[in-house]
Amino acid sequence: MTRYAIQRLLLLVPTLFFVALITFALARAAPGSPFDRNQDRPLPQATIERLNRIYGLDKPMHEQFVLFLGNAVRFDFGSSLVRDRAVADIVKQQFPVSAQLGVQALLLALAIALPLGVISALRHNSAVDYGSLLFATIGTTIPSFVLAIFAIYIFSVNLHWLPVFGWGTVDKMVLPTIILSLGPMAFLTRITRASMLEAIRQDYVRTARAKGLSEQAVIVGHAMKNAMIPVATVLGPFTAFLITGSFLIETVFSVPGLGREFVRSIGSRDYPVIMGVFLLFAFLIAAANLTVDLVYGVLDPRIKVGK
Amino acid sequence: MHRKTPWSLLAMLISLALVAAACQPAPTTTPGGATTAPGAPAATAAAGDADPDATLVTNLGSEPDSIDPHKASFVGEIAVIMNVFEGLMILDPKTLKPIPGAASAKAAVSSDGLKYTYTLRDGTKWSDGSPVSAKDFAYGYTRTCDPATAGQYSYVLYVIVGCEDWNSMDVTKATAAELQAAKDKLGVKALDDKRVEFTLNEPAPYFDSIATLWVGVPARESDVTKGGDAWTESPATYIGNGPFKMTEWKHNDSFTFERNENYRLPVKLKKWTYVMINETAVAFAAYQNDQLDITGVTSENLRAVEADATLKAQMVDVPGDCDIYAGYNLKKPPFDDLKVRMAFSKSVDRAAFVETVLAGIGKPADGGFIPVGQPGYDPADKAQAFDVAAAKKLLSESQYATAMPPIKFTFASSNLNKLIMSFLQQQWKTNLGVEVALDPVESTVFTQLVKSPETTPQLFRLGWCLDFPHEQNWHSTVWKSGAGVSAARTGYNNPEFDRLTGLADRETDPAKAADLYIQAGKILSQDAPATWIYYTQSKRLVKPWVKGLSISARGVTGLGKHDIYVAKH
Repeated sequence: MTRYAIQRLLLLVPTLFFVALITFALARAAPGSPFDRNQDRPLPQATIERLNRIYGLDKPMHEQFVLFLGNAVRFDFGSSLVRDRAVADIVKQQFPVSAQLGVQALLLALAIALPLGVISALRHNSAVDYGSLLFATIGTTIPSFVLAIFAIYIFSVNLHWLPVFGWGTVDKMVLPTIILSLGPMAFLTRITRASMLEAIRQDYVRTARAKGLSEQAVIVGHAMKNAMIPVATVLGPFTAFLITGSFLIETVFSVPGLGREFVRSIGSRDYPVIMGVFLLFAFLIAAANLTVDLVYGVLDPRIKVGK
Repeated sequence: MHRKTPWSLLAMLISLALVAAACQPAPTTTPGGATTAPGAPAATAAAGDADPDATLVTNLGSEPDSIDPHKASFVGEIAVIMNVFEGLMILDPKTLKPIPGAASAKAAVSSDGLKYTYTLRDGTKWSDGSPVSAKDFAYGYTRTCDPATAGQYSYVLYVIVGCEDWNSMDVTKATAAELQAAKDKLGVKALDDKRVEFTLNEPAPYFDSIATLWVGVPARESDVTKGGDAWTESPATYIGNGPFKMTEWKHNDSFTFERNENYRLPVKLKKWTYVMINETAVAFAAYQNDQLDITGVTSENLRAVEADATLKAQMVDVPGDCDIYAGYNLKKPPFDDLKVRMAFSKSVDRAAFVETVLAGIGKPADGGFIPVGQPGYDPADKAQAFDVAAAKKLLSESQYATAMPPIKFTFASSNLNKLIMSFLQQQWKTNLGVEVALDPVESTVFTQLVKSPETTPQLFRLGWCLDFPHEQNWHSTVWKSGAGVSAARTGYNNPEFDRLTGLADRETDPAKAADLYIQAGKILSQDAPATWIYYTQSKRLVKPWVKGLSISARGVTGLGKHDIYVAKH
């Protein structure tokens, strides 16, 4: 297990290298430069060339990439070409906000989805089950920003219960957290229900019942543990997706997270920010997947990771 | 000054939802005594109804890229800078003419018109209480011209001797000695602690207007050196001489400003917060929820506002300072033929455009390049007036009458731009029978395309928002052959236009200068390197408790900031 974890961690190095290479190539291949910002007054080409020299963008691509790598291994991602800020500062200030929003949304989603999914499975085709199906359908089909708008209209504009925008105090976090959690919550509910339904029909559950175990022990100790494997599988990417910042939710609620900064950096060809944020996201996704793989072994002894 | 294209990804959807929502009777939180028109200037300096602890909350839209006055160029950036700093001159909110700011009077001009000398007011101070010196102003101007600052607005000072030469140097190639030599030639000098002198390349009677700009605000060299690149980040080094001081900058979230007790005038407002809401529709919801005191009205939410008596009473009109136009590449067919350009120009029903596309928020371009309300506006310029019969005749006389090449209309993709361009496309099809294909591209790509006539598309969207209210900043800055911002891209070149604007730029008699600019403007419209479409205007919602506003083309809170206050409510 330890050996497996170490192997997987080592694999991160080539993974991140290729992510960096592809991102670098794609960012540079997009037309335009970070200095093409003013439609109504484009900078003269001579000025752009001068700026390119100042920021080293005139060097051959491979040379720039090697320079980038050299700095990146020392965790130096340079400064934004558009803003007066270092990439590290942008990430340091904006990522915790996205991460907090994401973790809150994930915990909320789990807190609702797991019990709801299990109950729906145990009482399938009951009113609870149909109710949860309706909720899940709404949650997965209506885009989060549409729900966000309705939430703003109902709870802020009409009822004046909650603020429309902002971050930092509990009342400001309520709407973005709930809205961001709805999609994952709906999906997790369905997947929990499906795998739970499958689990309770397994032979080992029948055996457990035959042994005379209490219903609670059968469900929690035997059925649920196995039913969690598919849930854990999707939880990895979900976590990464949620904590890296949802551009839409951050935009609608004006949350100062990394998601908005990320989309902004792509639009303005802010290469150092693009690289820094992409690598962070790649690392988080890889780490989330690794965690899931390791958790499999705990959930189901039949899965032997690393063998 | 430049407007950023707002995030438009969600704007439509959000707006639709909110419009639908707001059409129902809204929860009325009408504050009593809303009899005073919003934005009415404060009756007295005492402002007895002011709430001493109130905070004004306004929307900046998005995080500024830079709040360094000697680098910045966007509206949101300038809104921060001009809270904290003040230039030698400021704009009179009513006339938009330059009046003394940190200087005690307009510049003393030498007899040859080349030397402008400003004297600072007595006792002018930084917000930390220490005196402002003429050296701090000289440092500010020098920093803007310094190539190492890499500012994007330096060109506006190129009328100062040596600024262009030094600013155009390549700091990676030039030696320190060469850079120093260029710096020494710069025509900016502090004569003593009170007087700063500018030497110009040619007489420029509009220099007082330039002295109102953010690029010319003072800075204390010790603050900039101490803070390094991050001097703008910290309230400890971002110190100014303006009506407010920045006390906090939460990135992507908000700015907080507090009254500068050391400002030369009493400042009525204690605290001012700028928040950063990208979506205008969300800002509208925040305004309805009393989280914002002022917000913009867009053509999408105008209907909702007008349907609600309370909101409607809070709406104010704000003059604009931009002209939006369709540019032609004069080197590419069919627009190398004046008759085709004129036919296109005369076949656009601008009044219908403003009504349908802009929902009335804007003015039809009915008088040449310079917008209504700005010095130089010429209502008699009817060269491009809507006239379908004349347009058809011109087209039939053009060299492309029988064989029109395919035409593509290129623009930066945004919801508003798509609406605008579709309308124009329809006009040309209906009125001239010419098919124009729309070609929306990403804004960065667009900017790169339109840099020179070689790569500039045949037909493309253009616009100009003034830097300072003077004809020079319209005609000469934009259309002077070669260097002019729009001339460079369309390939426009008319020696007579250049001659007239050149004379006007140097003319010290304002009446004569105005007449020369009018003549030049008529030539420009007749040459039709572009079709003037509309002049921007805007509408804002202002809570009735916000008082003392000076509404101008600089916005509702852009000028007269020290007079703004929040009344008890």
